[in-house]
Amino acid sequence: MTDAALVRRRFLAGTTIDDLKAYMEPFADRLGYKFNTETEFVDEVLASEIEILELTGDVYCPCRVRTGDPKEDAKIVCPCIPFFRDQFAGLSKCWCGLFILKSIDDGGELLGVIDEPKDPVDVPVFRLDDLPPGQIRHVKVGRRDIAVARVGDEFFALANVCRHAFAPLAEGFMDGYTVMCPWHGWRYDVRDGTTDHPDADVRTFPVSVVEGEVFVTLSPRG
Amino acid sequence: MTVKVFALSTCPYCRMTRKYLDENAVAYDVVEVDLLEGQARTDAIDEVKRLSGGSSFPVVIIGDEVIVGFNKKRIKELLGL
Repeated sequence: MTDAALVRRRFLAGTTIDDLKAYMEPFADRLGYKFNTETEFVDEVLASEIEILELTGDVYCPCRVRTGDPKEDAKIVCPCIPFFRDQFAGLSKCWCGLFILKSIDDGGELLGVIDEPKDPVDVPVFRLDDLPPGQIRHVKVGRRDIAVARVGDEFFALANVCRHAFAPLAEGFMDGYTVMCPWHGWRYDVRDGTTDHPDADVRTFPVSVVEGEVFVTLSPRG
Repeated sequence: MTVKVFALSTCPYCRMTRKYLDENAVAYDVVEVDLLEGQARTDAIDEVKRLSGGSSFPVVIIGDEVIVGFNKKRIKELLGL
């Protein structure tokens, strides 16, 4: 006989903080995050998660509320990073601060103010010199795939997908302010994402360059 | 100035916020939303959504101001600590 509750549950009774660490670490890594460098804090959050696990059967975020709607609540199972990538990219950490971006050395500095960004956030993508003029490359920003193009000293960001057959525009060919899709040659203006084909324009994002670093601006809710 | 804290019993930032208020002898009401049941819980979640636009904790109400998260600097400013 199968116990449905046991089958659904990914964790055994008596799960420890170390068990959770070993279990979550590779997931976080794949998402571009690591555990906070403040190990005491990490242990405190995971201890809370174990309390919640005992109570509910899963490791829900200790800082967000379960609504009782299983579909909604599934979005706050730890690590909840995939559902809040844009907000967290702006914060450099998940809401709790359990996970921080792999590029952050000192997670302690992120534990204070934790207001979710309501304004657009500038996300660093690469150094100015990493993209020579006349070229285009793919970057992952939050959950988005974006193609960043450079024309002279101007930078432009647009969705990295041709609306025709979904080819990655970052693998296309640059010609002035135009990128040509690598698969069928549809041409997009990198300045505004427009193309001559009907209903096929792509979204663009603001780009800025500050002290040699290139930033793409995202709206937290968009 | 009235101070109200919507908290979860499991949330580290809620504990930090309450500890900070306690240490500074600030009187406040606290609602531990996850410990409520039935309609009271639903009402509290709706109230938090209305006030903060989300469901992240803690939500601290100081007068007319709504602070999401443990924002020591902002609490300090508003309460003149």
